[in-house]
Amino acid sequence: MMRRFVNSLCASRLLRRGMLAALTGCAALAMSAGAEAQEIQLTGPLAGAPAVRKLRLHRAGRIEITPSASFTLLDEYQRTIMPGLRVMYHPTDWLGFGVWGGYGIQTTTSLTDELQVKAIDERNCPTDSNTATDTACKLTAVNLTRGNLAQDQLGRMQWVAAPQVTVVPFRGKLALFATLFVDTDISFFVGPAVIGVQERAPCGKDNDGNTLTDRPCAAQSSFQLESRIAIAPTFGVGWNFYPTSFFGFGAEWRALPFAWNTSGFDNAGSGNDEAFPDTAVNNKDRQFRFNSMVSVNLMFSLPMKVKSSD
Amino acid sequence: MNQVRVGLLVAAALLAMPLTAAAQPKKAQPKEINLDEEGAEKPAEAPTEGEGAGAAEGEGETPSGEGEGLGDICKIDPSACPSINMDEAAKRDINAEMYAVQQIYALRRFRFEITPYFGITMNDQFVAHPAPGLGLNFYITNVLAVGVNGNFYAALNSPSNFNFQTSRAARVGIPITEYAWNANANFSYVPAYGKFAGFGDFIFHYDFYVLGGVGAIATRPIAVVDPDNRTFEYKPRLSFHVGGGLRIFFNRWFAVVAELSDYIFFDELENPGIPIGNDANGNPKAQDPTTWTAPETSFTNNVQAQVGFSVFLPFSWEYRLPK
Repeated sequence: MMRRFVNSLCASRLLRRGMLAALTGCAALAMSAGAEAQEIQLTGPLAGAPAVRKLRLHRAGRIEITPSASFTLLDEYQRTIMPGLRVMYHPTDWLGFGVWGGYGIQTTTSLTDELQVKAIDERNCPTDSNTATDTACKLTAVNLTRGNLAQDQLGRMQWVAAPQVTVVPFRGKLALFATLFVDTDISFFVGPAVIGVQERAPCGKDNDGNTLTDRPCAAQSSFQLESRIAIAPTFGVGWNFYPTSFFGFGAEWRALPFAWNTSGFDNAGSGNDEAFPDTAVNNKDRQFRFNSMVSVNLMFSLPMKVKSSD
Repeated sequence: MNQVRVGLLVAAALLAMPLTAAAQPKKAQPKEINLDEEGAEKPAEAPTEGEGAGAAEGEGETPSGEGEGLGDICKIDPSACPSINMDEAAKRDINAEMYAVQQIYALRRFRFEITPYFGITMNDQFVAHPAPGLGLNFYITNVLAVGVNGNFYAALNSPSNFNFQTSRAARVGIPITEYAWNANANFSYVPAYGKFAGFGDFIFHYDFYVLGGVGAIATRPIAVVDPDNRTFEYKPRLSFHVGGGLRIFFNRWFAVVAELSDYIFFDELENPGIPIGNDANGNPKAQDPTTWTAPETSFTNNVQAQVGFSVFLPFSWEYRLPK
């Protein structure tokens, strides 16, 4: 601006009134103008500007209600499909507090189906294992029901409730086929989880190691499930998309690591490191599993109007 | 001579003005920043859209300095003051060439991508098949590439404790196999491209890609039913490859990659039964290799999670595309 002003002055009145004075003045002005331009070059016009302007704040000050469906991963015996709900409040766009919960519905894996057919149905073991003549029936009496494998002994997650803190460090936009675009963010969450677990009831010995004379594991009556509450950490990451100001969708991966007996087998309790069967099923047969699941979320935010940053 | 004095006085007064102006906004002056390559060449121009530090996210914005500039012109020379109705001008239809995400940070067209990675099994609880791998791609366009990839599994296959415990508890032999190598020719397509602001402070770019291809995988059964008699050799089998992944760029030639790939093939499993008796030559049938494998092949999905990094060559290129 200053340079243009000087140029217009130099080109008109001063030039007509005194060539010498004008030349002197213009030369001096050019020097100072040059010095000022150099300073601008050093600082730059975008210095101090925020990385992002006019950012739509999809979370700040809003309550988010999220129906979800979760699917467990890497299941050995039973898959769990968990319809659920998450309610969060975000005091800022990058921080939120809330709770997630779901109820589990189980389906068997192909391994369970194979075991049911080949190890139980086709083997046709008698109800009283003492009368068994088949060696396999005698050896598997502690580990395999003579009825329905899934109903009698496989562990399952019945429900989960998890208060959680959510942090949203990454916020951006995504272009699909270079034409459609959508606001997006990546969130991380962590919290404690309360899990309602059903697993095979103790038999042979209880969790304290006392012998249960009335519940030998080889008896068919010992094949029943018992409920308990497990406490575990839960954490994960989500990727969310916001096609409108009040509706979004996304997917998240969640871990629920804790120890439980998914098979109902007698895997441990005796020998070196208690790594061998002891003809008893109790908490020693629980194994640590990094249970993980993927959730598909539909997010509704209230109030419906979204704010923008500066 | 008087004219000369007057001229010198005017020049001296004008000299004082820029010095004062330079001192005035000392505290309001922006800090020094490290501008990116292109931006550094012309810092006084309007901010570029997209990747620049002032990129607009969301609804867009009007540069704040525009109105002030017109005002300055009017103060200096009222006759040159432009008579523009700004409201009317703002309502004009603008046929600007805009893209959902402006300024793709790392162009791929005519570049090679070299991707070393490591893969782990996602769907086989009985045997883990971890493998180092390498992918090579050449991008014909910015979104389409042809390439090859391969995995080296040999000596890294490991039957799990879960397999042992299930077999011991239920007395059921579960057929398992191990892999030696796998190689595929692929087409890759990049349908989605985006950028993230990290902690509201820095911007990084990413893209999604999908791929499909065909190749071969060498597998063999692990003898668990009759290990005394049975030994198996690796055999290559036709396999199909589908997958998708995410690439996060750290600069214009280096990115980290996370990919989920499914290698689909018909596998040969161990025969769960052992034939008894001898053949016509008096040899035990159990030692006949033709009885070692199951009569039917098994449809197998080897789903693999792969994590690695990508290097794009050449490292730099001439930026010609408008987006």
